[in-house]
Amino acid sequence: MFNDLDPILHSQLRLSIVSILITVEEANFSFIKDTTKAAAGNISIQINKLQEAGYINVEKTFKNNYPNTAISITNKGREAFEEYVKSLQKYIYPQK
Amino acid sequence: MEERNFTPEESLLLISKTIEETKQKFQENGHIIVLWGSLTFSVFFLQYFFELVGLHKKFDIIWTCILFPLGAIYTFFYTRRKIKKNNIPKTVLGMTIEAMGWVVGMNLMILGFIFGDHLGNAIAPIFIIFLAMFLIVIGITIKFKPITIGGILMNLIGFGTFLVHPKYYGFSLMLGAVVGLILPGILLNKAKKKEYV
Repeated sequence: MFNDLDPILHSQLRLSIVSILITVEEANFSFIKDTTKAAAGNISIQINKLQEAGYINVEKTFKNNYPNTAISITNKGREAFEEYVKSLQKYIYPQK
Repeated sequence: MEERNFTPEESLLLISKTIEETKQKFQENGHIIVLWGSLTFSVFFLQYFFELVGLHKKFDIIWTCILFPLGAIYTFFYTRRKIKKNNIPKTVLGMTIEAMGWVVGMNLMILGFIFGDHLGNAIAPIFIIFLAMFLIVIGITIKFKPITIGGILMNLIGFGTFLVHPKYYGFSLMLGAVVGLILPGILLNKAKKKEYV
């Protein structure tokens, strides 16, 4: 039904992750987990898919001796998100 | 979060809900605004007090030099601690407000300490106008009307200050602090508490 919609973004959790990243410069894994309230394993899978699509950057470092996964949106991801929102609006308001 | 097919309407709703939730996590609770309002009020109240007891010239610069930098140090550490404790990521909006705060603050310090003699009494209304502009921008960006209105009123107080005798400039600063900082800060704090109830 929604053929024109980007299949990478047209998934609830992936869309939530990208919506968070569009608002911030960079977010770590636990912030995304707190905000989406999704399971860590599920988030990891969706982050990998978004990374493979080139929509996000994932940087694994250590912060105070603890592992820290910093995630940020790429320009490609930002453009895909904007395009996705435009497509959604076309579906909702087809006459515009 | 369950994966299922969802409609474009639901997608848009999810996007706006997530963005709103993310924004709310790092919104200021008014504490820092009330702090700066109280500091401004205290500094100029103390200047008045010392002027009354004849110690004005000796003490006004000391209060300004001690209280304002102390406020800046406290703001810096409070914000850092809040970011660390609540695991808050950096946002474009947050960085813009922070950068503006430092730029306005540094400019006011330079104007006061270096160009104070050139500006004379005009430093008081200039101080109010600078602060008011900063508050209007904050109010508009965080979409909190009391801060925007407080900023506009403070801006008017700033211009009005030029029309009164310089001996009343201290009162203008105190009034500006109450109208533009303390009252909107308390209202923001109340609004934030309501959100969490």
